[in-house]
Amino acid sequence: MLDGVRSPRTGERARRHVCWAYDDLESFAVEAERYLLDGLASGAQVWYVTARPDDAVSTHLRRLPAFADALARGAAEVVPLASTYTSGGVVTPAAQIAAYADATAAALAAGHTGLRVVADATELVRTPAQLDAFCRYEHRIDRWMHTRPFRAMCAYDRARLGPAVAELACLHPVANVDEPQFRLFAAPPGEGHAEVAGEVDADNRHLFRTALDRADLHPDDGELVLRAGDLSFLDHRALVTLDEYARRRGATAVLRTSRSAVARLVALLSLSSVRVEVGP
Amino acid sequence: MRTGAPAQHRGYYHVGLQYDTDDELLAVVVPFLLGGVEAGEPTFVALGERTGGLVRAALPAGSGVRFLPGGEVYARPAAAIRAYRELLAEQVAAGAEQIRIIGELPTTTFGATWDWWARYESAINHAYDDFPLWSMCPYDTRTTPAAVLADVARTHPRFATADGLHVPSDGWTAPDTFLREARPIPPDPIQETPPTVVLVEPTPAEARSAVYDADRGQLKEDDVEDLVVAVSEIVTNALRHGRSPVRLRLWAGDDRIVVSVSDAGPGPLDPYAGLLPASDGSPGGLGLWITYQSCSHVSLHRGPDGFTLRMTAGNPHPTR
Repeated sequence: MLDGVRSPRTGERARRHVCWAYDDLESFAVEAERYLLDGLASGAQVWYVTARPDDAVSTHLRRLPAFADALARGAAEVVPLASTYTSGGVVTPAAQIAAYADATAAALAAGHTGLRVVADATELVRTPAQLDAFCRYEHRIDRWMHTRPFRAMCAYDRARLGPAVAELACLHPVANVDEPQFRLFAAPPGEGHAEVAGEVDADNRHLFRTALDRADLHPDDGELVLRAGDLSFLDHRALVTLDEYARRRGATAVLRTSRSAVARLVALLSLSSVRVEVGP
Repeated sequence: MRTGAPAQHRGYYHVGLQYDTDDELLAVVVPFLLGGVEAGEPTFVALGERTGGLVRAALPAGSGVRFLPGGEVYARPAAAIRAYRELLAEQVAAGAEQIRIIGELPTTTFGATWDWWARYESAINHAYDDFPLWSMCPYDTRTTPAAVLADVARTHPRFATADGLHVPSDGWTAPDTFLREARPIPPDPIQETPPTVVLVEPTPAEARSAVYDADRGQLKEDDVEDLVVAVSEIVTNALRHGRSPVRLRLWAGDDRIVVSVSDAGPGPLDPYAGLLPASDGSPGGLGLWITYQSCSHVSLHRGPDGFTLRMTAGNPHPTR
């Protein structure tokens, strides 16, 4: 399941929000099938959201007996992108989350256990302004997903988006891409502000800064708590970035990691707005 | 007002002391220390157990001389510079007009790791020159190798003599010159065996993986983590500021991991690279400084084929 996904967190909690960058619709269709049939098996209503409801993925899904049966009884839908997201414009995160909140509530009211969506959002991130707004939305809805029975796979056409895929992928707890090598996503309520996983070094530190800006973390009691249990590397540039980010927000970044070297680097660099808590 | 020999000197007054007997050591050190206390100058001792004991016994009780743990100060050159600069800044902030220190490198530094300590002795002429420091570096001629004494003569502008005089050092070579010289990397015997890993143009992530893979539990976990940081920084520097091809070679031994990274470029232009954090934003300067504090030994070499930097984690004093 989700072969090749870069994440040590393959549990259900992480799979709440998956980024799937695809090179061809055929392989994407296989992944969408897995994700949506899992949803049907768990009693959720499932949607495939696409700009072209007659695309190869829809065709593949409609041929599946389980999906066709679900379509017939209203447990599955192929939804035009334009009816779900603001067409051609720039996404408004709060409005978009409200729309999915309503749809999730409707699914629950209809007797389903929740709503699970595979959305090909390629058309929504074509311009820099669209991409920036959508990345901000990705983090907001990732946070919201911790609280509601809503699950999503965000699919993006790698060939059409190029490097923008990395900007989107890093904001998901699970992604099937090698670059960037880090992920920044929402921590469960009461367990910190965000989680950082993977590796941040000179090659991706600019993206790390952009991702932090887009996550727009708001401190509590002067602290921004970053859980970093799956962090494998954070270099001095990333720590300086984090220090500046926390200072701009009037906070101390608290980094919870098992990597003792991070604590030594913070001491060496005399960073005053980062505190490292080393633990298992 | 500064007192003693540097009364008219600005900045760092760096003095070497070559002694043949313990009496000769004490003849210079005791008046140096007591003179400091008498003048109200913060006065410190950072000596090893034996010589520290001799000096302590020779001083009157409650002399006012402060003893620093010598062995800990001299674990790594870049860390020693950082610690001393902090100490000196604190003393000046508290109003000191001169600080006196006598500090002796442990004899363990005279072996395989002497190259970076020679760089230390040279670099501190610059690194401590921001402060009104008068320091003495004693070397016991009975236990110090001739090659080390030759470097001591080149890195100390003057020597103290037992009769209370200071004489210029014949071999004195300014740090800007000394630190730019092409010194051979002292060979580690493990490098006579084929490397465990060779990577050409590795990404920093691939280089980090190679270090983790080489760890068979022979090192402390913290030492492995610090070596990963160092190797990542040096490969990043080589790829960004060096010249292709960048080659990483790794040797995994029973008590250490040795990694060398080479490129075809000239290496860092800053002569103090590694020993001081680059305050002028020199390319890669901070990464190199972090590397110097993260390994048990770092050697660098500029040759006709390019620049090589070798990092050791674990035991830096190999025996054949």
